[in-house]
Amino acid sequence: MEKLEQTTSPHRKLLTAAVSSVLLSHGFDSSDWDVLETLTEMLQCFFCEIGQSSKNYCELSGRTEPLIADVILGFVEMGINFTQLSEFIKQHKLQVLPTLQPQQQPKQLNMLQAGTKQPLPSHIPQHLPSFPDPHSYIRTPTHKQPVIDYEAIREKCAIQKRDVEKALTKFLAKTSQTHNLFENDEFIFPLITCKTEFPPYLNALMPQDQIFDAEDLEYKTEEINPPPKKRVKTEKSETKTEGDGEEEVVEEPPEEIEDPNKVDENSSPVVDIDNPYLAATKLPNKS
Amino acid sequence: MNQMVKDEVQQNGDDQPLTVGQPLSEFLMQLEDYTPTIPDAVTAHYLNTAGFEPKDPRLLRLISIAAQKFISDIANDALQHCKMRSSNSSSSHNNSKNSKGTKDRRYCLTMEDLTPALAEFGITVKKPQYFV
Repeated sequence: MEKLEQTTSPHRKLLTAAVSSVLLSHGFDSSDWDVLETLTEMLQCFFCEIGQSSKNYCELSGRTEPLIADVILGFVEMGINFTQLSEFIKQHKLQVLPTLQPQQQPKQLNMLQAGTKQPLPSHIPQHLPSFPDPHSYIRTPTHKQPVIDYEAIREKCAIQKRDVEKALTKFLAKTSQTHNLFENDEFIFPLITCKTEFPPYLNALMPQDQIFDAEDLEYKTEEINPPPKKRVKTEKSETKTEGDGEEEVVEEPPEEIEDPNKVDENSSPVVDIDNPYLAATKLPNKS
Repeated sequence: MNQMVKDEVQQNGDDQPLTVGQPLSEFLMQLEDYTPTIPDAVTAHYLNTAGFEPKDPRLLRLISIAAQKFISDIANDALQHCKMRSSNSSSSHNNSKNSKGTKDRRYCLTMEDLTPALAEFGITVKKPQYFV
């Protein structure tokens, strides 16, 4: 019978086991849960009652340690027949419970002990708990004390700034366009190319900080994008003229038609739809 | 109970003084051979809650054996009741069917058997069969 197991003490569980073993020895195969609980409760009350009455009899006679006479008087008061106890033992073979006396939980070994525990100082009595592991209250820094005087830090700052500038210029010289001072050797002293625009103050007048993506602009600077494509295609058509004769005429018009189409394709969704969430998806730039 | 003790004392005869405890103190000697079912630690725990801490551990065993006898007597009476019930029901059913056999082999101790057994000891148990 399954019931909600209340938090029963291990002593009570052992009492229930003892009652069960007694019932088993008498020939019962099973019993109700209520019956077991009733008998366990009776057993517990029996112990408490006999203990109390024996103690009272003992103290009544002016002693503190109970004797067998006190126990006997307790039995008499409760109405327990103790004269046939020896016969009872010989009749019934007392089955010792398989579980021995309740064992204490093994002391938790401190496996993660780091370092030896420090002994208590002399002014603390020994029966108080000992100190915990030293790592819990002793702090050892994991790194050296950093330098915090003004001069050293200022110097470090300057060195870092210079290193950053140097590294950045080297990076740009290797990746972007360079302007070479010497015509013979290209890598000896590269300078980053300075790109001039006409007029030079144009960039300052046109604020670029509000433009996040050049493709999403409503107005398109068509002069920038199409000319490179046309140049490439005219180069291609020039190379093809060497191979094919009359097909170039047929190829050029469709190419030229394609370019404005492409431009229109790029511009039409931008013109019609203002909301970036509704615009058509764009593939990322391959460059 | 007191009547039983007096009978015991009278049986001892006049030459022996009124020491009911004598057989028990002899019994204590025998106690060391027998280990009761209830472990000493459990007995000691419950007796300590009452304030009873004997110096002699044999007292613990005496009390635990007495408790065991107490439960054993109740169980015995309950078994008699159970057997009576099963014999009554089997005798009434035996004419019609033979399904139950000679004896009801499996005895289940229920409150129905325990209540009259406890009543003979002077303990009235009234437990509701259901909880509202």
